[in-house]
Amino acid sequence: MKDTSKKSGRAAQRRWRGLTAVTASLLALALTGQVIVGGFRTDIDKFLGTQSTMVVTDEDADTGDAYTYQSDYSSTTELLDAIEDLGERMNEEGSVLLKNNGALPLTEEETQKVSLLGFSSYYPVRGGDMGSSFVANTGTDADTVDLVQALTAKGFAFNPTLQEMYEALQPLFKSEVESWGGVIEYNNIVAPAIGGVFTSKEPSQAAMDGENASWRDTLAEYNVMVVTIARSGGENRDYTPGTAGVDPTQDLNQTDPLGLSDDERDLIQAAIDAKEANGGKVIVLLNNSSAMEIQELADNEGVDAILQIGLPGGYGFYGVADILSGAVNPSGHLTDTYAVVNANSPAAQNYGNNQWTNPNPEYSINSAVVEAEGIYTGYKYYETRYADTVLGQGNASDAVGSADGVAWSYANEVTYSFGYGLSYTTFSQTLDSLSVDLAAQTVTATVTVTNTGDVAGKDAVQLYVSLPYTDYDREHLVEKSAIQLLDYAKTNELQPGESQTITITADAQNMASWDSTSDNAVGTQGCYILDEGDYYFSIGNGAHEALNNILTAQGKTTADGMTADGDAAQVQTWTLDAFDNSTFAYSRAGVAVENQLEDMDLNYWLPDTVTYLSRQDWAGTWPETYKDLTATDEMLEIMDNDIYVISADNGDPASVTFGADNGLTLADLKGVTDINDERWSLLLDQITLEECMIRTGFGGTSTKSIESIMSPETIQNDGPNGIYSYTLGQYANTNASTGDPCAVDADDPNLNYKFGTMCNETVIAQTFSKELAGEYGRVCGNYSLWSNLTIYWGCGTNLHRLPYNARNHEYYSEDAVLTAGQGNAFVQGGMAYGCIVAPKHLAFNDSEVNRTGVATFMTEQQARENELRGTQAIVENGALGLMTAYNRVGITPSNAHTGLMVDILREEWGYQGLVTEDFIQDANYVCLKEAVMNGVTMSCNTGDNTIEAVNEKYSYWSYDAVSQDAQLMAALKQAMLWQNYALANSNALDGMTSGSHLVSVRTWYDNLLTGMQIGFGVLTLACAAMYVKSAKKD
Amino acid sequence: MKNKSAGFFLTALSLLAAAVGLGAYLVNCGTDYFMNLGISPVVAGCAGAAIAAQLVYLIAAQKGQKNWMDLLPVAASVLLIVATVMLLSVRVNGIASIMTFEMNAQTLSDLTSALIGLIACLAAAVVSIISSFFDVVKE
Repeated sequence: MKDTSKKSGRAAQRRWRGLTAVTASLLALALTGQVIVGGFRTDIDKFLGTQSTMVVTDEDADTGDAYTYQSDYSSTTELLDAIEDLGERMNEEGSVLLKNNGALPLTEEETQKVSLLGFSSYYPVRGGDMGSSFVANTGTDADTVDLVQALTAKGFAFNPTLQEMYEALQPLFKSEVESWGGVIEYNNIVAPAIGGVFTSKEPSQAAMDGENASWRDTLAEYNVMVVTIARSGGENRDYTPGTAGVDPTQDLNQTDPLGLSDDERDLIQAAIDAKEANGGKVIVLLNNSSAMEIQELADNEGVDAILQIGLPGGYGFYGVADILSGAVNPSGHLTDTYAVVNANSPAAQNYGNNQWTNPNPEYSINSAVVEAEGIYTGYKYYETRYADTVLGQGNASDAVGSADGVAWSYANEVTYSFGYGLSYTTFSQTLDSLSVDLAAQTVTATVTVTNTGDVAGKDAVQLYVSLPYTDYDREHLVEKSAIQLLDYAKTNELQPGESQTITITADAQNMASWDSTSDNAVGTQGCYILDEGDYYFSIGNGAHEALNNILTAQGKTTADGMTADGDAAQVQTWTLDAFDNSTFAYSRAGVAVENQLEDMDLNYWLPDTVTYLSRQDWAGTWPETYKDLTATDEMLEIMDNDIYVISADNGDPASVTFGADNGLTLADLKGVTDINDERWSLLLDQITLEECMIRTGFGGTSTKSIESIMSPETIQNDGPNGIYSYTLGQYANTNASTGDPCAVDADDPNLNYKFGTMCNETVIAQTFSKELAGEYGRVCGNYSLWSNLTIYWGCGTNLHRLPYNARNHEYYSEDAVLTAGQGNAFVQGGMAYGCIVAPKHLAFNDSEVNRTGVATFMTEQQARENELRGTQAIVENGALGLMTAYNRVGITPSNAHTGLMVDILREEWGYQGLVTEDFIQDANYVCLKEAVMNGVTMSCNTGDNTIEAVNEKYSYWSYDAVSQDAQLMAALKQAMLWQNYALANSNALDGMTSGSHLVSVRTWYDNLLTGMQIGFGVLTLACAAMYVKSAKKD
Repeated sequence: MKNKSAGFFLTALSLLAAAVGLGAYLVNCGTDYFMNLGISPVVAGCAGAAIAAQLVYLIAAQKGQKNWMDLLPVAASVLLIVATVMLLSVRVNGIASIMTFEMNAQTLSDLTSALIGLIACLAAAVVSIISSFFDVVKE
């Protein structure tokens, strides 16, 4: 019995020991969970839809002007209707008709016998694979549609046999994307991962025959054959040039991922064969955002029409349907050159993963890209080289870079030029007048557009300039594009016979060239110049036509090698008598310009390494591929990202005031646009050093609140295809008693709407309509008011250096002026409603390959005239938000490059808004102290709201160290000034008054954790006590 | 082996999983992507202490189960839970970033050891809790 009793006692001990382990473990879970909640509270709140802080306004406070911005809409239904309507019109005006032998538009009868061919007709690409991704919406007032649904809604009827066949073939064209823990399947085509290859998914003819042997027979009845060919886009995605970028297991005669595969060719040929047998039409839709190689389609007489539709989002297919039926007239124009062979361009010679010989992952030192093409990207290359072949200069006809290995010839290199696009009607344009006013820094042109056809339509006016290329330029290595876009405008819809005179007032700085050797106003080097000589201005349906006009005006003909004679009557000239390096010596902000990016030239670090492409000698300066570069010790010293030394020797710490009691709140400065207003200084004196250090270090995905100045948490959102990080309802105000004009009902059916539904940026640019870009900004602004989502990283301004960057769908164009024009209208539209629409990424995020760390090298002329010009006007017109890039600028991370971030952005451009880093997680590469010194106001990291937590992330970021460095403390306050200045001039403060204050709120999960801690604490003690009791008993 | 109880095997299994978890974490700390985050003393310390507690428990109990030893599986369980949660805490941003903005073959490879560490630590904690209901040696 004793033994049995002993066993029983031991069993009880085991039981209570086990239960103690369970309860103690759960207690530990609850306690450590509290730590995690502290560190990730903002993101947890976003995920769960909870709120940990809220703004409370005193009952006796005057709330009459609490809501500064007013929506144009009275309900979410009206808001979503506006989005849907705009999405449709974007593709109406942004789809580009590249070829049409009269097949389009379709007759009403023809719309009833459409055969949709190609799996992308049924599963099109509507947004990026990742980043600017399309979001499908159902059950809302603006449900999204694909091509089939849009055509159905517009009254089209199509071949049911094909639809059934493609549905049955679905397993064949599923794209599988490898991910940790398995694969993700897509029915639409996807872009390759970094270093991956493109796999054609178009079902073969054999597969189609195997599924339904009689499918071809159905094309006799449904003989309007619409074939969709697609290439996707995506953040962190990339197309590798040439055959190296094509799946080697496929034998489909595909020479480039952006070229066609045999399965695609065979499908189109099957449609052509059917047309020849039965009559009908073959129309190709290009569902892409990176320029494809489609010369064979242009040449193929069996293809009646080609319509480029971009990535249409959730509503753009309505617009595509309207173009097909003729309900609207296409008026889009290409934003990129469609080359015969993309990989033959000079920029393509340096693209991809060219590793340093001495990489170091600890400091994100991985690869380098030397943009040796200089300013000659996109049409600036193709058109300039073409001009030089005609002018017989610079060895332009050499075979180097040619598609066929013989003498370079434009006709063999370019399928469709930048700016090209057709209409169902014809227009005449006359350049009536042109004047240059250097004092006002403007070029003013009047252009009369007349609809000379028989259907109504819109036209785009594209004003181009050709600059003199002088001996001075040759001597000083200043490059000149033979043609460049100066500005543009869109007409109203013109009825047949109707005319409209458009006045364009262009920024003359867009025709100035950066000369790194020029003297400047401050006695150093580097300035914008205008050479003496004749400036030719022209208009045209694309850059090539405008250039031909100019060459004709210069006396050239087809006998000289021109592709076609131009119209000299459409050319105006202006002569500058003397070299000018003074007109643009000062920026709009009144700051003298000088070289700031000399260290972006690899020759600065490794002398005589790079030869940049020059039109002096196309053959002799053709870019070599710069790989296997070795960073010197001098470079590595900077590339370790430890540039700024925190020191007590950087001034008197007592000179920087923190924690003052001046009785101000941020709401007191709502709408105060003068950043020099004394109240800003008084307000920022109230902030504490700890707050500055935490807010810059843990900017996270929202700006978070700052209690000392009552700055509210402000939510950030990604884009650009809509404010899509959260649903419309996640942060919407459901409390109408607050007086919020955009308060919603809790049961509003649109609260689950997600605004990832707009077409991609290339389509927006292809409209060549600043009005539509501005309308998109206004719609986003309105959405911002209803959703309470203020900061929107929605204006992608990186240029399309090459079509191979699969992220081109988030950017407008290969051209800086078009980018700036659309971007500026977009940002201004949003700002009118207090939405901070922010350009990204500053700067030179030209590829997704090794984007965290890639060293990007180029001349300062290229930097300023291409990429930076695409952002400059947006900033100078008052943008309040901006995102830096992952990549290095030269060898310095973009967020730490003083020349770019301070001297150009803050000084030359006069930028006063907030700046975030991209989603950089590596504490070393965040370069926090350097970033703050260079005007970055927040990193994208997150963590607990304590100085200890931020110090754990950045070991140098301790209160003791930073509080000794007056220079750094001043920079921290300045960063907080810029950040809060932006918020005060946005809708983030809507609902707040001087009497508002922030209060902490316990969420349900806080209560749950506390309950768990108490409950499991008690249980642990009880179990432990029972264990002790059983042990004693034993 | 005949006198070994279920607790022995479960504790040994937990110890093995904890060792795998700690090892994977340390490997992960040396990967390109995560190297700059350093080694969390809480994660490494708790996992290491749990392993030590389990080792002591397994060895000491061979000479007979004493009451003081009963503290060891409880402590090991608690330590492993803390290690798991803190490991998740220090890696969640990186996981999110890789799965969204930075996915490529290299980062996915770097991520693998972090996830192995997480899963192993969690498994070790669960098995450790279960093992605490059993003695190491038969009575």
